[in-house]
Amino acid sequence: MALVLPALLCLASGFWLVSLGWSRQYPLASDLLLRAALSFGFGLGIFSVVFFLARVSGVTNLIALDLLVFALLLASFFLLRTRAKTTATISPAKEKFDGPSWLHRILTGAFAIALCAAVYSAVLRALAHPHGDGWDAFAIWNLHARFLFRGDAHWRHGFTPLIPWSHPDYPLLLPAAVAHFWTFLGDDAPAVPAILGFIFIFATVALLFSSLSIFRGSVPAMLGGATLLATPSFIALGSWQYADIPLSFFFLATIVLLRLHDDPLDDDPDPAQRSPAFLALAGLAAGFAAWTKNEGVLFLCTIVLACYLLIRGSRAVPRESRPRGATHIAPLLLTVVPLFLLISYFKHFVAPPGDLFSDPTTMLDKLLDPARYWVITKWYAKEFFRFGHWLLVPTPLLMLAYYFLTRHETRASRDSRYRASILALALTLAGYFVIYLITPYDLYWHLRFSLTRLFLQLWPSTIFLFFLAVPCGAGAPARGR
Amino acid sequence: MTIATLIFILCLLLSTVRIVTNAPNPTRLHTDNIAKRSDQRFAALRAALPSQGVVGYIGASGSAAVGDYYLTQYALVPLVVDYSPNHPLVIGNFPVSLPPTRLPSAHLQLVKDFGDGVLLFANRDAK
Repeated sequence: MALVLPALLCLASGFWLVSLGWSRQYPLASDLLLRAALSFGFGLGIFSVVFFLARVSGVTNLIALDLLVFALLLASFFLLRTRAKTTATISPAKEKFDGPSWLHRILTGAFAIALCAAVYSAVLRALAHPHGDGWDAFAIWNLHARFLFRGDAHWRHGFTPLIPWSHPDYPLLLPAAVAHFWTFLGDDAPAVPAILGFIFIFATVALLFSSLSIFRGSVPAMLGGATLLATPSFIALGSWQYADIPLSFFFLATIVLLRLHDDPLDDDPDPAQRSPAFLALAGLAAGFAAWTKNEGVLFLCTIVLACYLLIRGSRAVPRESRPRGATHIAPLLLTVVPLFLLISYFKHFVAPPGDLFSDPTTMLDKLLDPARYWVITKWYAKEFFRFGHWLLVPTPLLMLAYYFLTRHETRASRDSRYRASILALALTLAGYFVIYLITPYDLYWHLRFSLTRLFLQLWPSTIFLFFLAVPCGAGAPARGR
Repeated sequence: MTIATLIFILCLLLSTVRIVTNAPNPTRLHTDNIAKRSDQRFAALRAALPSQGVVGYIGASGSAAVGDYYLTQYALVPLVVDYSPNHPLVIGNFPVSLPPTRLPSAHLQLVKDFGDGVLLFANRDAK
């Protein structure tokens, strides 16, 4: 019972934040599911920021702070709503299923089976490993949560260079959110991070399913959802209480919100109809990604760069009328900057320096070593087919085959946000490559224990972008130009 | 298209089988020993230590040694546990109880044996 109030506050705060800029009314079920999934992640993001700021400023009355934040969000929502134009209603995707009805039934059944199997596995894993499986949960994320929770005025002691193996420079979205709930509970119960890990798995699936449902219809949504649910390592890693699945959630949220930003009203390509609020929410999602793991900082930079380069208005807009400088991504920057400042504060005033850039001379030697490039490339190629721990047939291979079979029907998207998303993911993958090049750790060790997780971080977004583009024997063509 | 979609679905179901078979057996579900190796193991020790600060740590060698150290730190938060004997108070964490005559270091003086290999030492020479 002690957790009901903070859980409701968390979810409600996330919901009002998401709803602040929600200027489109999509089909009810998909709209609610999408907003619910986003609310969970955004709510946790708010909770973690509030807790961290309370710790930094010495504020102890957390419930008052939470209620204040909630009230501000609620007030902002009603204020903006009364001043906003009428919410535009989007027609459901005109879905036409070309295949036989038995195929539709099989797909629906397969989706249901995959969902039940994933829930079954995640629940049992959480019961068997309440403190997470593997080391990262108790050696990094929950350890930091305990320092934040138990440390009181001495919470900064947990971010000491004396325990470098705990990566005290890692951002604090998960630990601070967990500590926030523990504070309400008065106890550092392992059930809290276990439940959060469980919810992040299925919030990511819900986000993927609902967004594909809105843009393409139920068949691509079920295919995409089943693809993610049938990724064994995705379910396992979420249960381990690692931060990679929450990070994958925020990556996907960023890309979905970017896509929503460009969603025209009933095929009207008028750029004036785009809601800047979706772009702001995308910036917030990217910011929360950066607050979750250091890889999120890389993603944040790539998404800003990709949006700056590729989002400059439709070709229907005369060149002289297109935005100048970075004004076209101003809403994105508006929400990115505060979180970037928060992370900078944490990195500068709380955390010790990270280990990655600790030795510039050795870094240069490694960058110039061709053998390292070859090793990493080989591992990338190998892991591409193995990171999901699929049985017999790697899903990336399936997707490649599916693409080649349907490429004459696949329409390459001229949607600038789609291309920006692809570019951001590609740049992030390239960034990971560079990090392996310069890693201070043994290269094989580092690849072996992290590459799978890095690929999984990008996996839900990849599935989304794939099913947005390919024909599925059903579903509407992707919205947009 | 129909065949491709059907094959896609069937291959996904294959991996779903792996998800189910790799899950813990519900009829023989046992909680792991993380709590036993951490919070439960060091509960009495934690009560005897200061509420904050830095303490040292020594432990046995072997494959489980690093995990044991990490779990000691996990249990004793908000104390910082430094893997070094150069602190006024040093925690000893060994698989079995060490008789007082077999101290791992001459500078360490046994303060209390909590049993089950959990020891608390004072380092006379630590600054």
